[in-house]
Amino acid sequence: MDNSAVVHLIDDDEAVRQALAFLLTTAGHAVRVHDSAESFLQIAHAAQPGCIVSDVRMPGLDGIGLLRKLKEIGITLPVVIMTGHADVPLAVEAMKAGAVDFIEKPFDDEVLLSAIRLALSRHGETGQRDAEQARIRARIDALSERERQVLDGLVAGHPNKTIAYDLALSPRTVEVHRANVMIKMGASSLSDLVRMALTAKLQHQ
Amino acid sequence: MSPSSSNDDARSRLAAIVESSDDAIVGKTLDGVVTDWNRGAESLFGYRADEIIGQPITLIVPPDRRAEHVDILERIRNGERIDHFVTQRNRKDGSIIDVSVTISPIYDADGRLRGASKVARDLTERQEAQQRMQELQAELIHVSRFTALGEMASTLAHELNQPLTAIASYLKGAGRLLDAGEPSGIGMARDAIERAAQQALRAGQIIRRLREFVSRGEGERQAENLAKLIEEACALALVGARQSGVQVSMAFESTSTHVLADKIQIQQVLLNLVRNAIEAMQEVDRRDLALSTRRVDSDTVRIDVADSGPGISPEIAGQLFQPFITTKQAGMGVGLSICRTIVEAHGGRIWVDPNPGGGVIFHVTLKTIDIGELVHG
Repeated sequence: MDNSAVVHLIDDDEAVRQALAFLLTTAGHAVRVHDSAESFLQIAHAAQPGCIVSDVRMPGLDGIGLLRKLKEIGITLPVVIMTGHADVPLAVEAMKAGAVDFIEKPFDDEVLLSAIRLALSRHGETGQRDAEQARIRARIDALSERERQVLDGLVAGHPNKTIAYDLALSPRTVEVHRANVMIKMGASSLSDLVRMALTAKLQHQ
Repeated sequence: MSPSSSNDDARSRLAAIVESSDDAIVGKTLDGVVTDWNRGAESLFGYRADEIIGQPITLIVPPDRRAEHVDILERIRNGERIDHFVTQRNRKDGSIIDVSVTISPIYDADGRLRGASKVARDLTERQEAQQRMQELQAELIHVSRFTALGEMASTLAHELNQPLTAIASYLKGAGRLLDAGEPSGIGMARDAIERAAQQALRAGQIIRRLREFVSRGEGERQAENLAKLIEEACALALVGARQSGVQVSMAFESTSTHVLADKIQIQQVLLNLVRNAIEAMQEVDRRDLALSTRRVDSDTVRIDVADSGPGISPEIAGQLFQPFITTKQAGMGVGLSICRTIVEAHGGRIWVDPNPGGGVIFHVTLKTIDIGELVHG
């Protein structure tokens, strides 16, 4: 890992900012904190290399807006999005807008640290990300046809009932497939699952 | 047909009408001895006619109503009629029923006062229906409170996850420092633990406000400080408002005004109005929310909730407080109708005006109460 890499932390909540900066410092990261997406954008061109960890819900420009703005002005720092209330449409939007990862608050320190490792490795070399994508693809390949259809429905943000209707299954059967998908994919949450599915798909395209 | 037989016909027709009436119809002497007892009386009071005719009417008068009964007999003797007098009577099984009675003197052919007729109507059923209605209304108010919270769930989750994120991060970081075993790290770890504790308290406050709000207020009306009541309601209602870029201002004409109110219910009204305002302003760039209070006369205070949203079309404004009228895609349209129910039950009014600067102003009036009045009165 590049030791000069800096984690640019953006969150409007002061307590969260301080706590995360403290955690990342104890884990050996150099951290710069910013209280809004706008204040980061002001220094973005001069920002030290590394990655961005940003909250999604902020007054003014939100996390998704930040991703779009960065793309627009040609800043390629990888971005990890944090969200306090993960819903699938938001996750899909974040990943499509170019987030490397998105994690749901509150999170275990390892979840954040591995997301940052992934982001920094993407910035440095794409090897680790490729390995991760290969792992996910292998897991998706191990799903049954039905399970893959259920996964597609989940990633599209549909509730169980809708998926059941579309596939002409009972909601109960969808629940069982959904549970199997979670286990086979090794996903810890629905957002984790969506992240994996999108990571694999992005590589695919 | 002789006149006497037509009299007999009329009498037997009358007797049949009396007998078939659902209301209890009872005849008694001026001394209170039962002389007539129809089927309605049998079913209402539980005594058969042959059991009670010749017995004192006091059999169906509860002990605590005896004095009242004596008074009624006295008035009848003076030729008075008593209309729709609401009282209680005993049934044969000992149960008490609420009745409305009309008692009239009976005169004989010579115009002499001979007794009294009493028509009694069962009020229990009607009162039960009324009580059930009130219970349903309380239930609806309670449910709508949950709905308001449901609509806020995403915001509340975000708000709670902030302190939880800080706590987890402080503690995990402190753990790392302690694992590293550097003496210099201990002070920093100690400091991080303290900060984590503060964040736990912050989370607790959010939950406490929530719990108070969800708990079912049992219609308890107390003298409440209006400014405090509004501030507390806003603490909950404004959760996440800053993230939505809403500028909030509050102006209380007096911070010592008290209102006689069910605090939870009035806060529910304010929560609804404030959340509506915030939601309405999502469509516009300037998002100003202003809450203010103003005394309008000696015993009325008005609360204004003004927003800078897109406003309300006149067609909708006219029926805004009707149930199931909504401009929201996912709304039930019960929020404002509940608000009106609550405010009117408090003797106040709620209405809406256009905000001269754009948006709308909701007005709520409440009756004020003089604290001195409570202490000395």
